[in-house]
Amino acid sequence: MSAATGWARALFVSLVALGLLCTAAEAQQRRQRAVPVPVPGQSQQPAQKQDPNAPLSMPREQVQADVSTRRVAVTSNFTGIEIVVFGAVDYSRQPSPEAGYYDVVVVVEGTPTRLVARKKDRILGLWLNAESVSFQKVPSFYAIAATRPLDEIASEDVLKSSGIGFEYVPMTLGKGAEGKSEAEIKKFRDAVVRLKRKEKLYSEVEYGVSFIGRSLFRASVDVPANVTVGPFDTRVYLFRNGELLSRYTARLNLEREGIEQIIYSAAVRFPLAYGLLTVALAMAAGLLASTLLRRAG
Amino acid sequence: MLCWRRLCREMRERGLTGDPVARVLRNPSGFRVTARDDLSGRPATRTQAAIERRRRQMDKAMNFYLPIAEMSVNVTIFLGMGAAVGFISGMFGVGGGFLMTPLLIFAGIPVAVAVGTESAQIVASSVSGAVAQWRRRNIDLTMAAVLLAGGMVGAALGVRVVGALQRIGQLELFVTLCYVTFLSAIGTLMLIESYNEIRRYERDKRVRLRSRAHHNWIHRLPFKIRFQRSKLYISAIPPLMIGAFVGFLGGIMGIGGGFIMVPAMIYLLRMPIGVVIGTSLLQIVFVTAFTTVLHARQNFAVDIVLALALMIGGVVGAQFGAAAGEKLRAEQLRFFLAILVIFVGLRMAWTLVAPPGEVFSITSGTWGHQ
Repeated sequence: MSAATGWARALFVSLVALGLLCTAAEAQQRRQRAVPVPVPGQSQQPAQKQDPNAPLSMPREQVQADVSTRRVAVTSNFTGIEIVVFGAVDYSRQPSPEAGYYDVVVVVEGTPTRLVARKKDRILGLWLNAESVSFQKVPSFYAIAATRPLDEIASEDVLKSSGIGFEYVPMTLGKGAEGKSEAEIKKFRDAVVRLKRKEKLYSEVEYGVSFIGRSLFRASVDVPANVTVGPFDTRVYLFRNGELLSRYTARLNLEREGIEQIIYSAAVRFPLAYGLLTVALAMAAGLLASTLLRRAG
Repeated sequence: MLCWRRLCREMRERGLTGDPVARVLRNPSGFRVTARDDLSGRPATRTQAAIERRRRQMDKAMNFYLPIAEMSVNVTIFLGMGAAVGFISGMFGVGGGFLMTPLLIFAGIPVAVAVGTESAQIVASSVSGAVAQWRRRNIDLTMAAVLLAGGMVGAALGVRVVGALQRIGQLELFVTLCYVTFLSAIGTLMLIESYNEIRRYERDKRVRLRSRAHHNWIHRLPFKIRFQRSKLYISAIPPLMIGAFVGFLGGIMGIGGGFIMVPAMIYLLRMPIGVVIGTSLLQIVFVTAFTTVLHARQNFAVDIVLALALMIGGVVGAQFGAAAGEKLRAEQLRFFLAILVIFVGLRMAWTLVAPPGEVFSITSGTWGHQ
């Protein structure tokens, strides 16, 4: 017992010591960086040359980003895609890629769709869909990648105002929500998020963003095959010590293509012809099979 | 816990520079750095990566995107389903819709799409049988026309009901209840009848024909029509009603309805056994074709890619099933079919009674409108 407490105390002390050391080291770095002497051979020099009116202290950091593929074709053998988001921090003060000076959060948000969440209840011994809440707009896809866990990056208020995190996924309520309490609606919201996470349509990757250079970073987001097509928004946020420094939005588009597109648009635009075609195909298949097999037999 | 030396070695090996302390702070578990390739976030070990790559390749080869069901599926599953149900339908001489629609629903296809697509597949599986019966002149055309007239009205109503129930979110419940009711009722009747037949066969080793009641209430109804091929002179109302009822069920449940139509023709209309199969097949082909077009037009619920996969599997399976069926006696076949029908009914009932693992469900996209 006493040995265990002894170990725990030693561990605690060493952790505190390590923490203090790191804080000191970081403070040292910051002090060094605060001196406005351009480091030779670094990319800050051309940036300052372009802007001769810049003040002596460096301008505020800005983030820019783009996605690897702006247009994704959803064809018959679409099995999902990995979207690579890469970006750069302008006027980066980060000494090295590993410094962890900035936090970057990448949020990829899919086309909003209508969605109905239903809850089964036991009625007369049977489990039936009873209550339902319909949402006018729910992102069909929502992925978060960040340099570290979200709660370490910024406070809840900051995350909420930027719409980062599963609790703050933008969902617009539709019919059936009147007369329901906040808590009840929250239950349905949570269920939507939970079910979407199960389908891998909503995902969160801690440590999913990594810096490659002092200002260059990349993140990869897996989009599964069951995703709804449409425009995707990729929002990139740059944080420093829990403060939002800059944000940037890039777009990409998932489009049906090839035979899928033809079939889908035919089914929606010419439903009668599409139905007749299906029947003709079915009849032809049945007759063809019977004649072929009759000959074979 | 953190291993300092291991981390330093790791960083050296990968040519990473920088402050190890800051690195650890950023990535506190320490092991994350070692377990993952830092740049891509992908699994670092070669075997894991190879397995992943292989899995993706396999998926890519067999995956199809169903444009109407809006999902990506492994097409082998549906080919296999088509073959299995085709085998059973070939063996027992039934359409197989009552098996296929529940299977599609269990596989995660939206209920409306399962029903709509399955009616397209029934067209394919019934048409060859209908042509064969046509060649043997086993079809009562007048009767088929009357049944068809009723069937179209029923199907139109059924498709409308599907659309309406889809919008209020109770389609799944209604379809399940229909399945439970009809499958258990028909299954039980068939079971009793075939069991008695088997016992009688074993007792006196001869098949007896049922004694027929010559006149019942059906013969006293108006609008009498002469059905020459069936040698009947009865009112048009009962066939119209039967046709409408079966058409309605077909529209809702995605079935051809042969397993209701055939007993109704034999026991209610008293048609000769020889023309029953052909007439019902012909009627089924046209009613399911009509139902398919309506589902496509009103509910946008027919997936041609899925239908094609089911057809291909079904046609192949049916050939083997027919060969297997020839080895069994008719009442034995009916007995097994009855057990199968009851089993599917019970399985559907179970989904209603069993406490679900997840009480919430979501429908989105095209299938989530309300």
